[in-house]
Amino acid sequence: MPQTTIYVAPRSPGSPDNPLSAVTTLELARLFGRSAALAGVSLRIEPGKTIALVGPNGAGKTTLLRILATAIRPSFGSAQVDGLDVAKDPERVRTRVAYLSHATGLYDDLTALENLRFAATMLDVPAAEIETRIGTALADVGLAAVAEARVVTFSAGMRKRLALGRLLLSPHSLLLLDEPHAALDEAGMALVDELLGRWREVGITVLVASHAVERLAPLVDGSVRLDGGLLAEISGTGVSHNPGRAHIGAPSMAGFDS
Amino acid sequence: MSELARNAGIALAIARKDALAELRGKHATTSTLFFAAIVLLLFGFALGPDSRKLTEAAPGLLWLAIVFAGLLAVGRLHLVETDDGALEQLALYPVDRRAIYAGKALSGLAAMLVLGGVLLPVVAILYGIDLAAAWLPLIVTLLLGAIGFAAVGTFYAGVTVRMRAREVMLPLLMLPVIAPLLLAAVKATTAALGGDPFGELTSWLQLLAGYDIVMLIAGAATYGFLLEE
Repeated sequence: MPQTTIYVAPRSPGSPDNPLSAVTTLELARLFGRSAALAGVSLRIEPGKTIALVGPNGAGKTTLLRILATAIRPSFGSAQVDGLDVAKDPERVRTRVAYLSHATGLYDDLTALENLRFAATMLDVPAAEIETRIGTALADVGLAAVAEARVVTFSAGMRKRLALGRLLLSPHSLLLLDEPHAALDEAGMALVDELLGRWREVGITVLVASHAVERLAPLVDGSVRLDGGLLAEISGTGVSHNPGRAHIGAPSMAGFDS
Repeated sequence: MSELARNAGIALAIARKDALAELRGKHATTSTLFFAAIVLLLFGFALGPDSRKLTEAAPGLLWLAIVFAGLLAVGRLHLVETDDGALEQLALYPVDRRAIYAGKALSGLAAMLVLGGVLLPVVAILYGIDLAAAWLPLIVTLLLGAIGFAAVGTFYAGVTVRMRAREVMLPLLMLPVIAPLLLAAVKATTAALGGDPFGELTSWLQLLAGYDIVMLIAGAATYGFLLEE
């Protein structure tokens, strides 16, 4: 892969005594009906760190990522990105965060080029730079040759590559990746590894949920293991338990199924 | 770039994307137009060969056909967002929700204008109506009716897009709300075709314009909540 330009969003630095964490959650919980997908997770992630989010199916990994991406609201507790509350200030959070989910968010009837052009407009890429950035992104993810092909003709791996290309179009300070290696062949997985390395190099915070623990190990600074919606283990650097306490009178999670 | 210009750019990008998807799924566009034409033909059969009766009923039948086919069209414009998580991705872009609403409403308006543009001559041929004498008020009525329908349709298509029974729920929720639009559009069309002997055309058009403004404001103000899960 050519050394692509990685765009980085400027961060709010906080103060020298109290630098802002890239991600802060406090007693973060999300219920679906009476079932808690996330049951009170408190953690801090330092800026510029790449953190693996691991755990069995149903552990709450995707729910945590979706809350941080502002796709869903927390039921209880709080979550902040660069000091911005995801529930109170989602518009500003969206300017800093990009989310790669299981679904690619692509339009089948549009070509790869048209999908990225649409994304670039939505992401406020300067008009004069759109074509250049798209060309570079498509080359970086190995889809330049099929730029004019409709996405409906793409394999699952090609779709995932195109979704990865969308992440390269604009600056972000936090990337949330849900199983980025899934559906990819070995070359595709190597591409993800290389991108993770580049993002780490330029100081973008990355939270990556994956079952490919061994593959991720050399690419991350630390890891968080969730189990049953709870924080089970933290290891490595760049991530820590958030000891802050929820406000007195905050709704209790007691009594809900986990 | 001003916020207004940025929002206009977003709305146009969404409308352009929808138009591309719609044009490439030609079968859907053609089916909708055929459906509307068949509805008009069947109404004609139901009313019998009496040309006077057909002429009198033409405005109502035209707008019923536009409404039925329009329900299919606006529903489909949101269905494209169900492609592999596209709606969630759209919701996560750092853009003003009102711009997303405006883009989807613009797509709906374009679809409604195409429908109206095709169905008007079909009505003229099937029911023996002379459009030439009233073309301007007919175009204004069609435009105002299409704006109102797109404004309401975009909102309710957003409400129902995540529902399993969306094909049933969309008309069920939307038809009562567009009843005033249907009434005003039929009355305005009748007045336009009849030469407006009682001078009521302007009033009906004003009612349509007022309805459009209220629905556009309400839709833009509330559509963002529909994108939240």
